Amino acid sequence: MKLRTKITTLVGLAALASMGVSGAFAQTLEIVKERGHLRCQVGAPTPGFYNLDSDGNWYGIDVAICQAVASAVFGDKSKLEIQSVTTQQRFTALANGDSDLLSRTATWTLSRDTRLGLDFMPPNFYDGQGFTVRKDSGITNAMQLKGAKVCVTTGTSTELNLTDFSRENDLGISNVTFDDFNVRDDTYLNGGCDAVTADKSALAGNLAAFPVPADHMILPITLSKEPLAPAVRQNDSQWANIVRWSVFALINAEELGITQANVDEMRANSKNPSVLRILGAEGELGEGLGLDKDWAYNIIKNVGNYGENYDRFIGDGPQGIGIAREGSLNALWTNGGLMYSPPMR
Amino acid sequence: MVKVANQDNNVRIRPKEEFNFFQDKRVRSVFYQLLTAGTVGWLLWYLASNTTQNLALRGMNTGFGFLDSVAGFDTDFKLIEYTPGVGTYLDIFMIGAINTLLISFVAIILSTILGFFVGILRLSKNWLVAKVALAFVEVFRNTPLLIQIVFWFIGIFSLLPVVKKTIDLSFGSEMLLLNNRGLYFSTPIFGDLFWLTALALLTALVGVFFLRRRARKLQNESGAQTKILLPSLALIILLPSFTFFITGMPLAWDIPTLQGFNFVGGASLPPSFLALLVSLSIYHAAQIAEAVRAGILSVNRGQTEAALAIGLKPGKVTSLVVVPQAMPAIVPPIISNWMDTVKNSSLAVAIGYNDIVSLFMQTTLNQIGHAVEIVAITMAFYMTISLIISGLLNIYNKRVQLVER
Amino acid sequence: MTIVRAQKTPDRTPPLSETSILGWMQKNLFSSFFNSILTIITLYIVYITVSGIYIWGIADATFVAENRRECYNNSLTGACWAGVIDWFDNIFYGRYPREEIWRVNFGGLLLVLWMAPLWISKVKGKIFIGISVILFYPFLAGYLFSGGEKGLFMQVMVSGAIIAFIANMLNVLTSRIKGQSLSKFLISLFRQSNASDKSQRNLILGVLVISFAAVFFWQTGWSLEGVVWTKWGGMFLTLVISGVGIAASMPLGVFLALGRQSKLPVVKVLSTSFIEVFRSVPLITVLFMATTMFPLFMPEGFVLNKLVQVILAIILFNACYMAENVRAGLQAIPKGQSEGAHTIGLSYWGTMGLIIMPQALKHMIPNIVGNFIGLLKNTTLVSIIGLFDILGMLRSISKDAPWIGLHKEPLIFGAIIFFIVCFSMSKYSRHLEVKLSAGNKH
Repeated sequence: MKLRTKITTLVGLAALASMGVSGAFAQTLEIVKERGHLRCQVGAPTPGFYNLDSDGNWYGIDVAICQAVASAVFGDKSKLEIQSVTTQQRFTALANGDSDLLSRTATWTLSRDTRLGLDFMPPNFYDGQGFTVRKDSGITNAMQLKGAKVCVTTGTSTELNLTDFSRENDLGISNVTFDDFNVRDDTYLNGGCDAVTADKSALAGNLAAFPVPADHMILPITLSKEPLAPAVRQNDSQWANIVRWSVFALINAEELGITQANVDEMRANSKNPSVLRILGAEGELGEGLGLDKDWAYNIIKNVGNYGENYDRFIGDGPQGIGIAREGSLNALWTNGGLMYSPPMR
Repeated sequence: MVKVANQDNNVRIRPKEEFNFFQDKRVRSVFYQLLTAGTVGWLLWYLASNTTQNLALRGMNTGFGFLDSVAGFDTDFKLIEYTPGVGTYLDIFMIGAINTLLISFVAIILSTILGFFVGILRLSKNWLVAKVALAFVEVFRNTPLLIQIVFWFIGIFSLLPVVKKTIDLSFGSEMLLLNNRGLYFSTPIFGDLFWLTALALLTALVGVFFLRRRARKLQNESGAQTKILLPSLALIILLPSFTFFITGMPLAWDIPTLQGFNFVGGASLPPSFLALLVSLSIYHAAQIAEAVRAGILSVNRGQTEAALAIGLKPGKVTSLVVVPQAMPAIVPPIISNWMDTVKNSSLAVAIGYNDIVSLFMQTTLNQIGHAVEIVAITMAFYMTISLIISGLLNIYNKRVQLVER
Repeated sequence: MTIVRAQKTPDRTPPLSETSILGWMQKNLFSSFFNSILTIITLYIVYITVSGIYIWGIADATFVAENRRECYNNSLTGACWAGVIDWFDNIFYGRYPREEIWRVNFGGLLLVLWMAPLWISKVKGKIFIGISVILFYPFLAGYLFSGGEKGLFMQVMVSGAIIAFIANMLNVLTSRIKGQSLSKFLISLFRQSNASDKSQRNLILGVLVISFAAVFFWQTGWSLEGVVWTKWGGMFLTLVISGVGIAASMPLGVFLALGRQSKLPVVKVLSTSFIEVFRSVPLITVLFMATTMFPLFMPEGFVLNKLVQVILAIILFNACYMAENVRAGLQAIPKGQSEGAHTIGLSYWGTMGLIIMPQALKHMIPNIVGNFIGLLKNTTLVSIIGLFDILGMLRSISKDAPWIGLHKEPLIFGAIIFFIVCFSMSKYSRHLEVKLSAGNKH
């Protein structure tokens, strides 16, 4: 009798286990709607992009993307569960369905786009690797770094770029690798390295926190192109469209002069058809995405446009890290930058 | 039930064993074992099939072929030849594995010595010394190692003088230099006839061995103690140095010299190595100190008193009577501490020492993926080392048990 | 001939070393030349350490500031504790909603109150207290911490827990005041002391059913706001992970240890290899495997949250260490005990459960406390895989815009917290060890 119960249990377990096998990744939008909130993946706190404040809230320009997508789907930016995932797990966690969206300063490269089973979205920040050096070291050009020790953080393409640069110019630079950028910067500040290398946005942000920022400078050279972009799982074009156009909506809103403050007024009074279309007062743009017509209005109402977020988190805002936007790649295309959105019509 | 019948005849009738399939002990034991094996086997098969299915579904490639592909990144500290862009991921694995073994080995030796030292200081009659030793043990035992490692690295080794103000630890000969880029030391370059000096040293060692044997035999026979320390030392020092001078001093030093930003030549250990070494050694020394103290306290006080009564000096009492008896209680915890040292060296990743976890499980995994294989290889590596160490422990335990009985 | 003194000989004065400070110093610090040198060197080391820490951590330190720049303006070399103070809530409770923090505190307080009677003398029925904690507290705490809608099962368990807790508190009162356990007190209250066992039992059951119904009805009236696990963090998360880890690894550890000593070769080999495999790899690789590879092991579409994965990994890992503790405890029990139990006809499980385990448990307690300390310290590794436990929070301070780069002070603060917790626990375990070993000497 006992034996039979055990066998039945086993068979039952096996049946239960084999039940789960089905095409579960098909419709992310359906899954998200059913769950009632969006699962958005960021990384360990990184100034400017995703960060915790002392009240335990996430903020940063990549968090804004998560909030924008949540607003587009639910009309409510708080229907969002932010997951902080390490660099090692980021692509797996997206691939296995743990998260719906990855918004964590991942560099868009060909091999990642093709090999890891994910699709990259339009970049929301253009970065490039650079060097910080002490002013009194007399280095003004990266070619003077011959035989130098350079501090770098592990687990990113930064290490690879540094080695490539050193090999290309025969500089014999030796990498001093760290897990945590604070330890890296302290080592540099104490003279353990001659230079620090990282993405320039990070360099600028960290430099501002040095005891005497004026003693250090960022070299003009840019080692690499780092288009930082959100990513979603491959083979779900509906979901990819939603995320892609959420990013574009942020940029487009800035171009059209729609801000968090004036969005209601613009929707009511604007005479510009582009503004009316994007805010859902005219046409049915949301339908194609499988969303309601207020989706972009909700994004701007809840999150603001791209420029506002840049100022808040990357620029000079109270939570910002003080990186100028003017003249950089992150300016709007109308100001000579790369931030460009296809027309929304 | 045993029924004893017909006691007069002294004949025992064996009870009739009724074979009941469900009550039989052997059948049940076989059944339980089959059940366990079956469950575990099914579980393993189930997990494996899920994994292959998931991997296929996500288009993640598997296999160990990636070990042969070329790695593009460079590392700061390596003991084998490696050129980025030429070396493979297998080389990276080797560098990491060797670095882990190196740090663990040195840390094990240091922590054991320091642990014995502190453990004995804990029992010192000097009140202040005993209390400071106690504070040392408690502070380092009760805080997470991860915090300690980061503290030693940032708080101590990063704050050493910069390159231009290097400290010379070898009193002006520039053989041993310390700055916040690491510890630089000269490496010997052996000449042609150096092997003769080595041979002389070997001969001297063999000589000392025989000297000791003779002295012990003498002591066993007559009880007389012969002093062999001085003659042995003389043999070990004089014979090789004599050969060394006669063959024309065939030894040169590669001395580190400042070129550009850094010292070139000789060999060096990065500060991350030093910080990890110090923190691992101290953390585990604190654990070992407790084991040593407990072991020594476990030796009956009568032993010490008796040894003192027969006129042994206090130092000899500790080394000849107390410690040897305490050893069976001290060694097993120490060896398991060694195992922990190896495992804890994986925290190196926090301060950028290039151990196997940092190089292989972090950087390599990031560059190339293959999570399953990389984690499996890393775990297998640690398992092998731990099994070797626990093998040592088992051998020791067997020996001690045999001696005791 | 005998000589007997009429008066007691006057006491000799105690030696100088026992009475004066100078004498004490002479005996304990400067008894020999070597000892004096040792004392002076040690004093110097202590002075350097203490004065350095004092100047950095207190004299030159900044305690009130808006951001790190203000700290620098105050002193470039001193500590900046203001950042740590600003982040207190995050460090202890993580991202838990600020207005709900009382739930965490309340949950902790309940546990303390519930367990406290175990240490109070004259309290009756301590075994029931232990069982009720293990059976009910996890559900009550689980609901308190995570909130949300209560399912029927949760409603039953929460009501049960509330009853058990109240009964426990009343039991303490009756034990201390009347010297009776709660059930005895109830029986005498209803003047049933002389009634039959059966009617006494019925009375107790009746009281239980009535109070359960009342509590059940009452608790349907309210529910707590849901808090998802991603908002858990800080010291709270550290304690939850290590607490659940230690509690759940105990039974598993017992089974593994018994398996390792089993006479059935298959069971023995499997348990031994399981224990040895997990004991031979670093926890960080196990955690890494749990978070990266666990999803690959599971059937497609089956998603467990990361916290559960981490806790499962820690339970498996710790169970192996627990198994070794249990084995050590089992080995300390003389063989005669199990032989004796066998002779009187107890089965294997009867022998183990009634005779061996209760005795072995006593031997294991100090080791289990030691294991808990180790686990608590090891739990900080979850910060490496991206959970915001106390160390994860401490490390995040240095990334927050106002405090960017501030990372030494948080680490040292963390070290102090851990020291306080772990040190007091290890002191307690040593005290227990002494007490238990005193009890063993008949």
